[in-house]
Amino acid sequence: MTSAGRHTAHPDPLPARGAREQDGPALVFRRVGKVFETPTGSLRALQGIDFEVRRGEFLSVLGPSGCGKSSLLALGTGLEFPTEGKVEVAGRRVDRPVTDVGIVFQSDVLLDWRTVLGNVMLQIEMRGVDVREYEARARELLNTVGLAGFERRRPYELSGGMRQRVSICRALVHDPDILFMDEPFGALDAITREQLVMELHRIWNETRKSVMFVTHDIGEAIFLADRVLVMTPRPGRIEEMVDVDLPRPRTIAMRESPRFLALVAHVRSLFVRAGILQLSA
Amino acid sequence: MTVSDTTDAMTHPQDAAASTPRDARKRFARRALFARASPLVVIVGVLLIWELGVRIFNVPAYLLPPPSAIARRIVVDYKLVAINTWVTLGEVLAGYGLAIVVSIPLAAILSQFRVVENAIYPTLVASQTIPKVAIAPILVVWFGFGLLPKILIAFLICFFPIVVDTMTGFRSVPREVIWLARSMGASQWKTFIKIRIPAALPNIFAGLKVASTLAVVGAVVGEFIGADRGLGYQLIVANGLMDVQLSFAVLVALSLLGIVLYAAIDLLERLALPWHVSHRMADGAKPAEASR
Repeated sequence: MTSAGRHTAHPDPLPARGAREQDGPALVFRRVGKVFETPTGSLRALQGIDFEVRRGEFLSVLGPSGCGKSSLLALGTGLEFPTEGKVEVAGRRVDRPVTDVGIVFQSDVLLDWRTVLGNVMLQIEMRGVDVREYEARARELLNTVGLAGFERRRPYELSGGMRQRVSICRALVHDPDILFMDEPFGALDAITREQLVMELHRIWNETRKSVMFVTHDIGEAIFLADRVLVMTPRPGRIEEMVDVDLPRPRTIAMRESPRFLALVAHVRSLFVRAGILQLSA
Repeated sequence: MTVSDTTDAMTHPQDAAASTPRDARKRFARRALFARASPLVVIVGVLLIWELGVRIFNVPAYLLPPPSAIARRIVVDYKLVAINTWVTLGEVLAGYGLAIVVSIPLAAILSQFRVVENAIYPTLVASQTIPKVAIAPILVVWFGFGLLPKILIAFLICFFPIVVDTMTGFRSVPREVIWLARSMGASQWKTFIKIRIPAALPNIFAGLKVASTLAVVGAVVGEFIGADRGLGYQLIVANGLMDVQLSFAVLVALSLLGIVLYAAIDLLERLALPWHVSHRMADGAKPAEASR
């Protein structure tokens, strides 16, 4: 399929979705485009990106590498700025790094010289907030991810899954408005990955944070999310916003349910239609 | 068979399993002891071969004295050796200290401000192509025969490795960590203090170790050119007198000086960075379960 064909199939930008929640969305992308200037010319990373993360919503951003998923995260957190359109967090236009956020990257980026607790508390120390006030919360968070008793350990004593759990605690300890996750389980083995997906789901269920969860795993994206933003590359654009109507809380058995499988099949068909996946070898 | 017998039999495998880690620890301790002792064994072996070789092949003492003779000479002339070691040590520490005080802040500035780096770094690299030994005579002309030229040469020779390694260290912080710091609303300064400095410490220590051995070289070169005391001076004098025994005595003092300085930095590193990777690997005590 040519890019022109894709263009007509998906008028740009997408029409605004339904009525806004009373509180207003946690994150808004309005007709956002991003062009990078390189020595060999300009490179379009994103085009006509138009969506919202509603308050308390878990939104997955799904796409193959190179579709600008991570750029969305950089734009949403104010680490980069759009060349077209605008980004708003909690109703305020993003024109500097957003601080009322928690970020989890693919690599846990824990500081080797700090203990587990110290790594979580970095979030508080860097903000210059009263450390004692948050330490109990940090310990409690570590407890909920099964790391009670590991507070004094150093990152190198932990497994990859445990390290990523610590980095999730670090992203939550200051009780941020919105949580950004950039392929947080991408570096983990399949089973650890499934463990952490379940844990993240449980944490989300208890806290109901607004989450933007970037991933390239179709099952993971659907299982966790209220809606899945399906993206295609070159340039990164929205293919479709898929509503996930699976009941909550989700159970691991739902991954075999007909509805889940139908959603997976639908998303896969979107990638086939975009020419990213082939129907046969 | 009674009930208790059955219980015994059932718990027995567990007991065996429990004793295994203890054995492993013992085995591990033995291996660690051997690892520590093995360099000593090598040194003693080399000295022994040297001693025997000299005696068996009747090598004349004015060419290659046996280790025993050198040791005896050190004992006899301990005052001479000690005074000169003291002088050289002072020059080494002063030059080395000066290099540390100048290099680390300079590297911090260079790594933080691209404009400064672009302006200064090329000149810095170019200046390193001049052999320090070649500058030494000029420094003596400028600053005389006192301590100053030796300190300066030691400084010049250890300055660059510390700068380069420290810069690498400050740059070693992953981009994501800096992003995190910004999302935490932290100032550049706070990020520098809380993240960049601790992250740079392993590289800083690597630079300090390399520089510690170079500092001794610098001081001795300075003493070769023009001095009336110090181990380098004593070496020149001993050579002039064809007193090879004394030359070796001075060499022993020099290498001890270098070893002690290096060991001190190494110890400091172990105390300051217990979390550091290379030690973790060297100790091998804690293989991370993580498959990263």
